[in-house]
Amino acid sequence: MTEASLPEISAASSPPGGRGTRRARAALPLLLGLPVALWQVAFFVLPLAFLVVVTFWKVRNFRLAPAFDLANWEKVLTSTPFQRALVYTAEVALVATVLSMLLAFPAAHAIALRLSARARGRWIAFLIIPVFSSYILKVYAWQVVLSPGGLVNTGLALLGLPAADLLGGTLSLNIGLLTLTLPVVTLILTFALMGMDHSLIEAARNLGASKVQVLTQVTLPAIKPGLGLAGVTAFLLSFGDYASPVFLTGSNPPTLAILIVDTVKSGSQWPRASVIGVSMLAILALAFVLVQALTQKRKTR
Amino acid sequence: MKKFNLDLSRRGFLGAGAALAASSALRWSPSYAQEPQVLNYLSWPGNADPYLVAEFEKENNCKIAIKEYVGGDQMLAVINQSPPGSFDVVLADAEYMHLLHEADFLEELDPADYPLADYWPEFQKFPLHWFDDKLFGVMSDFGYLGLSYNSEVYKPEELASYAAMWEAKAKGKVGFFDWYLPSMGCVSLSNKNANPFDIDEAAFGALKEKLFSLKPQASGFYTIADIFSSLRNGQAHLIPGIGEWITLGLRMDGAPVDTILPEEGGIQWTESLSIVKGTPKKDLARKFIQYTASPKGQVLQATKADNKKSIPSIAGWKLLNETMPDQAEILRLQFDKPNVMDEWKKGRIHFRKLPVQQAIEDWNDVWSELKSL
Repeated sequence: MTEASLPEISAASSPPGGRGTRRARAALPLLLGLPVALWQVAFFVLPLAFLVVVTFWKVRNFRLAPAFDLANWEKVLTSTPFQRALVYTAEVALVATVLSMLLAFPAAHAIALRLSARARGRWIAFLIIPVFSSYILKVYAWQVVLSPGGLVNTGLALLGLPAADLLGGTLSLNIGLLTLTLPVVTLILTFALMGMDHSLIEAARNLGASKVQVLTQVTLPAIKPGLGLAGVTAFLLSFGDYASPVFLTGSNPPTLAILIVDTVKSGSQWPRASVIGVSMLAILALAFVLVQALTQKRKTR
Repeated sequence: MKKFNLDLSRRGFLGAGAALAASSALRWSPSYAQEPQVLNYLSWPGNADPYLVAEFEKENNCKIAIKEYVGGDQMLAVINQSPPGSFDVVLADAEYMHLLHEADFLEELDPADYPLADYWPEFQKFPLHWFDDKLFGVMSDFGYLGLSYNSEVYKPEELASYAAMWEAKAKGKVGFFDWYLPSMGCVSLSNKNANPFDIDEAAFGALKEKLFSLKPQASGFYTIADIFSSLRNGQAHLIPGIGEWITLGLRMDGAPVDTILPEEGGIQWTESLSIVKGTPKKDLARKFIQYTASPKGQVLQATKADNKKSIPSIAGWKLLNETMPDQAEILRLQFDKPNVMDEWKKGRIHFRKLPVQQAIEDWNDVWSELKSL
């Protein structure tokens, strides 16, 4: 995300005209961008490269030993638990993405286009706060709320209703994942809707477009990159999440993130865990590129 | 033997002030590992709690620096990855002792140095601590694993056999400790394997099949923290492969949980202390093991508030019954009542071991497959 928005920022901040030579003017933004680039190399590119290298290493006596061995890849990619976890994790992430988009869009639409500026500010703050509070804590709280002896069931019992089996299934998993994704997705969509040219909507209305037509033919196409970013973010967060599947479904069945932990826990198989990690990154990168291509094509050409 | 007052020692500890409390939970660090008065201790979490070690530290004017691990695999990883001399004492589960011994991490111990004669005869020459008739670890504590259950849902009579896990009543309510060894051990026992971890390929195939048939009954695969909460909040009604180390604390806290050893038998976990080869602090290490095996050290091991254990020392039992009779009763460490040695005498206890005829990885793979079914 940071990288994608960088060129825009630097392009916008380079002042038009001005005195200095053209070369100096071109060099300054590059110079200012250098620390970020170095930071990315040190804390993203190098660890990632190391992760890839480790996938070929071996474990001897619980110690990593450099080697070039494709056995880890073969072992992981052909194992049934990995294949099942891959399909399951992709399903879970897709469902969570669709759910969070469907729930977040009406909220974002109302915040961005219906509320007064003051109320809008309040709602945005209201959405930002959860992003900065502990997610693990919230997942644990859900465990207490949803458990057989928990808050919901205590309430049902008071009303004389039978207990509901809420914890440990798709419902509890999605509640947990939405806790993670919903605030972020709503914020992205809100900013996208705030940033679009609102006169387009007025023009469409003046030309007699129905509410549905305005939405499908004006608003949604106008925020396409925002939709893409929101979707990718939701997918990325839920695809890699560890806390909700562990604490709200009891690892039953395990996702890829859980499989990584299991692989390290028994046998200290860091190389095989790295294979799973690299595979997950590859899938996420693929999803990112795909969505970028789908949402940005018309805009740039 | 002098009668000693545990409350006094506790008060003594409290009186020593916050400084001691803070430094007693000293974390292991390579920067002071070589200092002569620091005993580097590789152990399960909580074992350098002031309740257990403050008195030893005071008597010997030393500090215990603990490096905590969770699970034998992690213990082996840490000791393999650390330079020699990093640790002086290691606490290990019995099934990992042969791996530590084979990798030459352990110093041979002189049995005469330790009060093994005070131990129950069954534990004086505990097979997994001796190699070629040489002693390499001194048992500090043990406990049994069987079938833990919600006592509001189940009466003990209903759990006479592990077969209860397959019944309709348990559907979606069988929780698992997410560690292949004790969980598969209990299923192996339910398959009537006399030696649950030493089985041939045919029996291993049957174990796999039996285990997989349990999947529809599963509520989840839990970390230690989640075992506590799932038993407590009713998500799991039965959990195989755990024991009183979980349920006793919960029960004392008011939760309706208990553990039973079904007729097919139970599994024993066993912890011991060893001196790490190459340590320059062999004397201090030996004193620490002597202290833990002493009646006083044994009582402390048994009664730590958040981790109640059985102890192998008869002298420890005596002191416990004299000083804390209520604890002796809760822990079933009384001489004249049914106690933890009864199960032993009935021959229903099997040691937890690593798989003998298959590779660890094969058992692990079966476990991973069960989870992903």
